[in-house]
This record gives sequence, structure tokens and C-alpha cells, in this order.
Amino acid sequence: MASKYCILVIEDEKSICNFISKALTAHDYKVVCAYTGKDGLSLISSLCPDIILLDLGLPDMDGINIIHSVREWSSNQLIVVSARSKESDKVAALDAGADDYISKPFGISELLARIRTSIRHSNKSNTSSQSADRPYHALDLTINYQNHVVTRGDTVIHLTPIEYKIVTYLAKNSGKVHTYSSIMQHVWGPYIDVNNTKILRVNMANIRHKIELNPAAPQYIFTEIEVGYRFLDDSE
Amino acid sequence: MKKHILRILHSNTFISTFFLIIATLLAFILFHLVPENNANVALIYIVALILIARYTKGYFYGFFASLFCVFAINYCFTYPYFEFNFTLTGYPITFLELLIVTLITSTTTSHMIEQGQKLAAQEKKIAEADREKMRANLLRAISHDLRTPLTGIIGSSSSLIENHGKMSEQDNKELIQAIYDDASWLRNMVENLLSVTRIQSDTSTIKKSIEIVEEVVSEAVSRLKKRIPDARINVTIPKDIIMLPMDAMLIEQVLINLLENSIIHSHSELPVDLTVTETSHTIVFQVDDYGIGIAEERLPILFDGIPSTASNTADSQKGVGIGLSICKTIVLAHKGEIHAENRDNGATFLFSLPKTE
Repeated sequence: MASKYCILVIEDEKSICNFISKALTAHDYKVVCAYTGKDGLSLISSLCPDIILLDLGLPDMDGINIIHSVREWSSNQLIVVSARSKESDKVAALDAGADDYISKPFGISELLARIRTSIRHSNKSNTSSQSADRPYHALDLTINYQNHVVTRGDTVIHLTPIEYKIVTYLAKNSGKVHTYSSIMQHVWGPYIDVNNTKILRVNMANIRHKIELNPAAPQYIFTEIEVGYRFLDDSE
Repeated sequence: MKKHILRILHSNTFISTFFLIIATLLAFILFHLVPENNANVALIYIVALILIARYTKGYFYGFFASLFCVFAINYCFTYPYFEFNFTLTGYPITFLELLIVTLITSTTTSHMIEQGQKLAAQEKKIAEADREKMRANLLRAISHDLRTPLTGIIGSSSSLIENHGKMSEQDNKELIQAIYDDASWLRNMVENLLSVTRIQSDTSTIKKSIEIVEEVVSEAVSRLKKRIPDARINVTIPKDIIMLPMDAMLIEQVLINLLENSIIHSHSELPVDLTVTETSHTIVFQVDDYGIGIAEERLPILFDGIPSTASNTADSQKGVGIGLSICKTIVLAHKGEIHAENRDNGATFLFSLPKTE
């Protein structure tokens, strides 16, 4: 059996730390808590945790700064914990290099799902050479990257080149949220005006109409209002 | 530059000069066409005077205009032409008549304007009082509604602490479940209250951006399903992509509140219908349930944030007041409309949002 995954929780509220660490320990993770940003940073360098859960509202330093300094030298999976009302903070954290976010208050099942997704992605990036061209598959949807074919059940879905580019970008990082600006820069290049998200959203609406059976009750593409989009996790 | 021109156009001097010139021109034309009847000339000037008095402020311009009229008639349209002759019989009477017409019109107009201002001020006061009332109702509803789940949480958790080991596993589980349910309800309420803080309290305005309707609807439905996993909702949206200016978070909250309200309070197992339709100026969101409907006496005050009275079991109705009054606040801030009605087989809640800003 492989060794336990190590999760570092950086959170100043002791009660929240307490319940997260109890629940995750029960699910066979190794959990370490840090109550300040400073402690967190030193623990990141000494422990090299697989996953970091970072609360953005720390008393001693801005969460965004922690993300920046971690990203300078490490590619640990970093999940941001944030209050739901501050969408702009989430976008800033994701654009700074966080891998995903979870909104307070959250249930433990939601947290475990995010952690599983993150672990799979960290495994994937370790063995990237083999998995890069492996087709995406979830429910009835299959994306074959090698011959550029998207199918739902037996029907082939015809996407425009831009739509295909968006879909593959989301699918290759399925299960994680992507901000509007990261998708736009990937698809249209670095000079696109990321504040004008209309072009992306119209494309997304078209994709949704092609891929989803009922666009009003999507199964594959989920909107995170004011943040970005999330593609249904690859079922492997 | 444009503003400058507009200001000149609105200035009293300009208005007076404009009407007088037009009147004089008309008078000349008429005088040449029908020279034998020069009563028309005086009438044209009277019309000009009435208009001046109507569109200028104060008596000053009217008075001068009537003076001008008297001289103009005397100078241009009475014999000897293009000469002043103040010895005409009845001359002071003409002047007096014109002056009286002007004064009466000016007085009436300024009175009208004053009345209009008074009415506007009154309406503003009423609107303010309404907002104040809504806020007070909301606060009352909140304090009323928050106490119930808090009592539950404190009671359940303290009995878990104090009776540790004395209760059956089943009882423990039930108490923990009760704490979880009450806390989830509180979370819902806090989200609702937080959403209201996005509305500027002084101006009741919001930050709108263009959103795609189906994105907002689908996120609202999926968030609600996370909370109530066995909720069944049939969503119908037009095939075309609809873009609509709104604060997506707030409209999502409205949809969640209405759907949850229908699911919980209809006392029906049948799925709830959410239908979006497009009219020429608005987008209409309609929630239909197939349950017991709304008590007639609550229909008119449903959105006012008044907690339901003890008679219709306060416990089962907890939170309805706040949720719906927040819906109303949000929809009104979008300059939309919201209302509820009973059908033969259930209740309908619908709200509409304008397509343009």
C-alpha cells in the first residue's frame, strides 16, 4: 500500500481546523494544521504536503501572497477555502496559481471530492507522458484527443475549432474550475481582452447546446457564476 | 458643448424671444392675407403670451412679453403703420387685457409646477417610508426566524454533551441530524442576507452585467439539488440563447428561494416546473407547483417579510417571510416585477426582468 497522502490545512479558525482534520484523518489522510500564514509557509517547505488547503482570510498575511510564494518553487495541489460572497477573491486566487477552490460553509463530502480530484491531477502530472493523449470519458461523453472526435453515446458532436479548443482545455483539467481569463488566454492567446467575457460565454452556450441533452440541466459543463466553468470529472 | 446649447434652449429669455418672433411672423402673414380683420393678430399674440407664461418661470418674462405685444400691435398692425400712436381709443384696455391673460397663466403655471414638486416630494417620502418598513419587517422576521434553529442547535448539542453515554445510539444520531438540519437552514438564511448586502441600501441599485439566462438557471437548480438531493424540477427554457442584464448571484438567489419555497411548502410529491419565456420587453421566470396553494389571506402580504401568524403553524412556515421578501427586494432592484397567484391545482410564483437597462 502506498503511503498516506499528506494534507496541510492553513486556517486560523481552530474549530474549522479541528473538524477538517478529524474528518480527513478518518478517511485515511495524514493531516497537519497551521494557524498562521507564517507557520504554513515553513511547513510547506519542510513537509512538502501533497495538498494544501488554504484559507484566504488569515490574520498575519494575505492568502494571495502565500499562493504567489508557494508557486515560485512548488507545484503542490493548492485548494483555496473562501467565503462565498467574495467571488473576486476566488478569481484572484485561481489566477495566482491555486488549483481549485471550495466555498465556506462546505460539507465534508464536498471537501473529499475536491481532494480526490486534486490527488488524481497530481498523479496525472507525475506521469504526464502516458496520460496526455488518453481519451476523456465521463457518462456518455468521450473526447478522443488523437483524432479530434467528440461523441455522446453513438452520435458524433460537431464542434467548431474554437469550441473544440475550449472543450479540450476544460476536459484535460476536468473536475477543476477554470476562470474566464485562463480559458480565454489559452484559447485566444495572451492579447485577448479578458474583461470582455461575452465571446467566451456565447461559445460556451453553443457548446452546451451541442453537448448537453438539456442545456438547462447540464451534466457535463457547470457554470460557477462570476468565476468560470467546471467540466465533469473524468471517470477514468 | 451639447449641454451648453441645451441650457440656452431652456433659458427663459430664449423661450420668450422664440415665441414672440414666431407670433410676429404669423401675425404679419395673416395681416397680409386677411387685412380687413386684424382681431387675429391680437389672438395670435395672446396664444404666444399663454405659451410664454406656461414655459417660463416667474412673472417677469410674461410681463415684458405682454408689453412687447402691446407695442408690436401698436407699431406694426394699427394705423399709422410702423409708427407708435398712443392716442388710439381703448388702447390701455388692450394692454390691460393682455397683461391679465399673462398674469393669470403665469400664476396657474407656477401653481401647477409647485404642486408637481410637492407631489414628487411626497412620493419620495412614501417610497422611503416603504423601504424603511420593508427593512423593519425584514429585521423582525430575521430575529424571529433565527431564534428557532439556534434554540434547536443549542438544545441538541447541550443534551449531547451533558447526557454523554446515557442516550441510545439512535437518539444521538437523531440529535446530530437535527443540529445539521438547523445549521443548514441557518446557512441558507445567511446566504440570503448576504445577497441583500449586494444591493446598495441608499439607492436600491445593483451592478448589472450581461448574463446568459440558462447558465444562471442551471446553476440555481444544481445548487438547490445539492441542498435538497431528492428535489425534482422540470426546467423549460427557450432554445435560443438569451442574454439579460442582471446581477447573476442575486437572480440565482431569487430562483433558489422560489423553487425551495415551492418544493417545501406545496406539500406535494409532484415535480416543480420552472419555465422561462421571452416577451417583447421582458424575460419571465415562472415557478409552478402542484400542491396546496397559498392561503388567500397571505397572498397580498406574501412578499412583505411578515412572519406568518401563529394560527397557521409558525413552525412549518419558518423562513418563508424572509426568503420571499428578499426575492421582492432583489427583483425590484432590477426594476422587474414579482407576484404570486393560486391556480386550480397549485401555486404560481413569477417574476419578470426587463431586457434593457
